[in-house]
Amino acid sequence: MGNCLNGDMKGGKQAIGGVQQRPTSTTAVANNAALNDAVDFFFRSRGQYPLFSQIELTLSASNLIDCDITSKSDPMAVMYLRKKDGKLEEIGRTEVILNSLNPSWIEKITVSFQFEVVQTLVFHVYDVDTRFHNVPVKTLKLKDQDFLGEATCVLSEIMTRPNRTVTLSLTGNNTAGVNRNLGTLSVLAEETIASKTVAEINFRCVNLDNKDLFSKSDPFLRISRIVESNAAVPICRTEVVDNNLNPIWRPVCLTMQQFGSKDTPLVIECFDFNTSGNHELIGRTEKSVAELERLCRQKEAANFVYPSLSHGRNKVLKGQLIVDRFVEKVQYSFLDYISSGFELNFMVAVDFTASNGDPRTPSSLHYIDPSGRSNSYQQAIMEVGEVIQFYDSDKRFPAWGFGGRTSNGIVSHAFNLNGASYGDEVVGVEGIMAAYASALRNVALAGPTLFSHVVDKAANIASQSLSQNSPKYYVLLIITDGVLTDMAGTVDALVRASDLPLSVLIVGVGNTDFKQMEMLDADNGRRLESSTGRIATRDIVQFVPMKDIHSGQVSVVQALLEELPGQFLSYVRSRNINPLGAPAI
Amino acid sequence: MTKTLEIHLKSAEGLKLNRRPLKKKTHAVVKIDEKERTSEPDESRVSNPTWNHKLEMPINGNVQFIYIEVFYRTRSGQNKSVGEAKIPTSDFMGKYSPEGHLNCLSYRLRDEFGDKCGIVNFSILVKSDPKAVSDTGLWRPRSDTPSIDGYGGRIVTGVPVWGLYQRPY
Repeated sequence: MGNCLNGDMKGGKQAIGGVQQRPTSTTAVANNAALNDAVDFFFRSRGQYPLFSQIELTLSASNLIDCDITSKSDPMAVMYLRKKDGKLEEIGRTEVILNSLNPSWIEKITVSFQFEVVQTLVFHVYDVDTRFHNVPVKTLKLKDQDFLGEATCVLSEIMTRPNRTVTLSLTGNNTAGVNRNLGTLSVLAEETIASKTVAEINFRCVNLDNKDLFSKSDPFLRISRIVESNAAVPICRTEVVDNNLNPIWRPVCLTMQQFGSKDTPLVIECFDFNTSGNHELIGRTEKSVAELERLCRQKEAANFVYPSLSHGRNKVLKGQLIVDRFVEKVQYSFLDYISSGFELNFMVAVDFTASNGDPRTPSSLHYIDPSGRSNSYQQAIMEVGEVIQFYDSDKRFPAWGFGGRTSNGIVSHAFNLNGASYGDEVVGVEGIMAAYASALRNVALAGPTLFSHVVDKAANIASQSLSQNSPKYYVLLIITDGVLTDMAGTVDALVRASDLPLSVLIVGVGNTDFKQMEMLDADNGRRLESSTGRIATRDIVQFVPMKDIHSGQVSVVQALLEELPGQFLSYVRSRNINPLGAPAI
Repeated sequence: MTKTLEIHLKSAEGLKLNRRPLKKKTHAVVKIDEKERTSEPDESRVSNPTWNHKLEMPINGNVQFIYIEVFYRTRSGQNKSVGEAKIPTSDFMGKYSPEGHLNCLSYRLRDEFGDKCGIVNFSILVKSDPKAVSDTGLWRPRSDTPSIDGYGGRIVTGVPVWGLYQRPY
């Protein structure tokens, strides 16, 4: 607790909401409840239109209790969905605001509003005590923070109100008798607009008023959007420039989802940063994005105005806002690439290790039931195969098995599933099923469980396509019962493959503890590190346990395709690859 | 044979000095054999500096490792080392990296005691020397089972010697 004095000052001064993610960052491009156009496309092609709409929630709180001794709390809100079994599943988090008991968070949380399901949202507000500067908010451990209060509501309740806002009182969840007033939490819901336009703006100011006594102001800009009910929703904040009345900020990236439309009025306020959390307003101005573009083109400046307390005229200040640069970029979506001709190629690898159980016993995961019921592997292949067949261009999949002893007596960790020596491809999902059935008859289950050979094989195929210059992206599907013997070797193979156009989807069957797989999935923000010191360029693994799918909580399509568009986009965007035929950005 | 490497030193993350986050001006240095090139220093004193410095360096065919070291500037103006990363050339000139492929890499930095002190992000593009004639067409990764060689896994050029052997018919 070395931070009771002032909180993380650097963390409080960083930019929020308008910053473009580094291409190598492992925070996914789309969060797990946001619009996944790959899933959407799959269902639409079958005539099933989505029965949900994407909603964006903006949170603010007031009168929070003060948990820090010499300063105020540094609050952050976490939102959960309460599932059927009562457990809480985290959907998203806001950013941390320094020193404020009445925070208006800028980071929005997206959730899909399903009309026919009762969705119970649970909000927890925490006081963040650990350092949060440049730490992805996702990796902050909640048990290290101070709990400030909790609130619950049902999503449809918010959506049916006229203003789409609801104010909830925060309650504590531990002490029974003490009923302190913990403050209130307000939630505003808006529908998201899927859009591709991103505006990158360089702001600068001159002649700002000095609000500090012994030094100059520490200015930062806060940009808000005016919603229908005339409330202002903050969308982004620049970083703080210390001691400067003519500050130049780093470029701000705003998506059309954040600013609405080019003509929606935006309020741009310039504040002087104070460590107490009470930032003093220097001036404000109202401009739409189209007007900002005009300011840049015509090299004009906009004067700040100080709102007067009486009903007199606002005082026009000497301070001016200048737009140095205004660039509109297009961010293509996953579907844009696929429909332009980018090929997705799938490869399948099946686990033939002895941990599955002897295929002749009914309890084995590889048991072929004479009555025709599919075993876990067959079920997984069929369900997963449906999805990959839809997206694969030529429906020919290289199929391998690993961990089995083939007819020549050697244990192989990447043998052709079809048993042929000339090639490893099978045609269609039926091909995979037939090859699997024949392999079960000819291959003895052995061990150990190693993924590195099949990952290397997939990486080889992916790298060969690089020299051919045709745009292809490869997806390796590994169906396994779970426990890896050689974690280090697998991590090494994955790190080697992390710079290639390849994603690895691991499907877990059976009931083992899949903790190792979750480590490989790297969703907690820790990048994989190989034994040679190389760090994975990007997160290429996604893990899906079949038992989650069978309990009905998430569909196969949703689970499999959850991270794929994000991983694909992180590859093409970091190399500035555009959809075929699209004009260069 | 020499190739030219176009190295783009992008950024670093989590830089630590004596286990505490670093808050000084930093710059990165690339060392190949005996040659060194330095990037511009990042003036903002953060532990996640961004340099975005592009440079080109020639590399000899039989070099096995290149080194990237991150330095910080002390108050007295001296440059001291934060940590170093040792990158095997097989990672960007090997099986999975045909020529012309932009290799985006990240490496763990270790200080003089071997402790972890951050991650450095950079990209390398291998360009062949335009004067070199023979081997540009042979830069294709092999299709058999992969293995990590010490010499970058290149295919050797063999030149048939005509006229030395005559067919017996």
